[in-house]
Amino acid sequence: MNAIEITDLCKQFTGKKRVRIDALKNINLQVETGEIFGFLGPNGAGKSTTIKIIMGLLRPSSGTARILGVHSGLAASRLRVGFLPENPAFFDYLSAEEYVGFVGSQFKMDDGLLKRRSEDVLKRLDLWDARRRPIRSYSKGMVQRVGLAQALVHDPDIYILDEPMSGLDPIGRALVKDIILELKNQGKCVFFSTHITDDVEKVCDRVGVIVRGALVALDRVENILKSGVEGYLVHLRLSEDVPAVFGGFEAVRRSGAISEFYVPCPAFNSFMGTVNTSGTEVVLVETRRRNLEDFFLSLVSVGRESG
Amino acid sequence: MMTMIGITLKGIFRDRVFQGIMVTACAFLLIPVIASLSMRQVTELSVTLSLSLISFILLLLSVFLGGTSLWKDIDRRYTFSVLGLPLSRQSYLLGRFCGTALFVMLSAAVLGAAAFAVVCYSSAIYPADRPIIWSTMALCILFDALKYILLIAVAFLLSTVSTSFFLPVFGTIAMFFAGGVAQQVHEYILSPASESISPVVRQIANGLYYLLPNFEAFDLKVNAIYGLPLPTGGLLLTLGYFFVYVTFLLSVSTAIFSRRELR
Repeated sequence: MNAIEITDLCKQFTGKKRVRIDALKNINLQVETGEIFGFLGPNGAGKSTTIKIIMGLLRPSSGTARILGVHSGLAASRLRVGFLPENPAFFDYLSAEEYVGFVGSQFKMDDGLLKRRSEDVLKRLDLWDARRRPIRSYSKGMVQRVGLAQALVHDPDIYILDEPMSGLDPIGRALVKDIILELKNQGKCVFFSTHITDDVEKVCDRVGVIVRGALVALDRVENILKSGVEGYLVHLRLSEDVPAVFGGFEAVRRSGAISEFYVPCPAFNSFMGTVNTSGTEVVLVETRRRNLEDFFLSLVSVGRESG
Repeated sequence: MMTMIGITLKGIFRDRVFQGIMVTACAFLLIPVIASLSMRQVTELSVTLSLSLISFILLLLSVFLGGTSLWKDIDRRYTFSVLGLPLSRQSYLLGRFCGTALFVMLSAAVLGAAAFAVVCYSSAIYPADRPIIWSTMALCILFDALKYILLIAVAFLLSTVSTSFFLPVFGTIAMFFAGGVAQQVHEYILSPASESISPVVRQIANGLYYLLPNFEAFDLKVNAIYGLPLPTGGLLLTLGYFFVYVTFLLSVSTAIFSRRELR
């Protein structure tokens, strides 16, 4: 059974002057249990709308969203979900400890277990010292961490995180990435939205790219990175007194006896054949490829042109 | 739902509204002094002032807590995190309502105790002409609290359809005044004195009488002040009216809120 299943999902909003806005256009998506899925898209692409429909906060205009096979409109669909909304806000008259306790009680956690888990997550997210202060006195980053604490406390199987790194400093961002990787090792499913490609590249198994409400790409991160290989940077040890040209390629850089040659993919095999024949020492071969950001930007620009 | 009630109560106790009301309640201390200025009927005046002060405080609570509770949660985006839990919208709304209603009941009890103390003190210094019937006074406070719980249900209904606090707050105030005079208007419409009014207006007034909550039915102040006997049948009818009306309002509220888009 899929952790999250979205079928033919459409959402229209009626804007000012009764103008209809297509926020989501026929989204189809399945996220498997144990998978880390990155939902990538520029601001206003429809990421949060999709997440709100999955969480039952918005109703789809057509299509369905299910969590572990349960329709997202039902409270029961959220029984095994930890959810962090975008720019979260919590009852600010409560302390982090009280709020996490409230969340645990909603999941009917046993008191002893809740106390232990609360302590674990508050310490893990560096909120232990501030746990008894009202949330209204917290900084934005601390509120974001409370959001993560309340999503983690009941140890759910599925995590739905809307921009989890938003508002965090570099230390906080690194912490969140570590937590997501830990969850991955525990076999949990994490569905998170972001517009930062680096986050996806480092932690995700699969990525979906949404632009203007349409899912324009859906693939494994490794496939995207593999398909983006454009050439190789070959480091050769050459005598310093010979010209910096080899196999028809001019060195892009020379440092003492080491010369670097950029070889495009189609010419790589013949280049290496020449290297072997000449008996030249290969010091290093580096892959030159488009990163996920380039891939994302190309999709966004195509999406915008076609939109 | 029980945790939601607990969270609501905690929020109210930590809210400035509650602290403001505690300050307002200090006005009870002035009642014997003000009542003594009348020179006669001091105890009756103490009862009147005490019950009126309780009613005023409960009105403030109902309008500000009832009218802003749901709206504030939506406006401050608390609903995104709370409704992302396995909590149905019905449970959330009913938890919020019950928490607020429970607080109004608790406030009525505490303020009622203060009123009893004030009246006891006044009657000890200036003995009353008529006996004070404490049970009637207690019932008067209870029915006053029920009236304001009904008003909170109105405020919740208005909150479910509103995107700002204007409708829940000002709409609730308007409903309070309209519901307070609905009975008198209805009686006037039925009297021969209203024959000059056009039939359309009379029909509208009649329709509004059945639609608007009738708050006058909950008013037992005259009975409490002058120690008049209470009509048991009338009280039971009012109690039934209260339950039916509140159930109706909450059913409509939950139906609307369950379908509401939380953008």
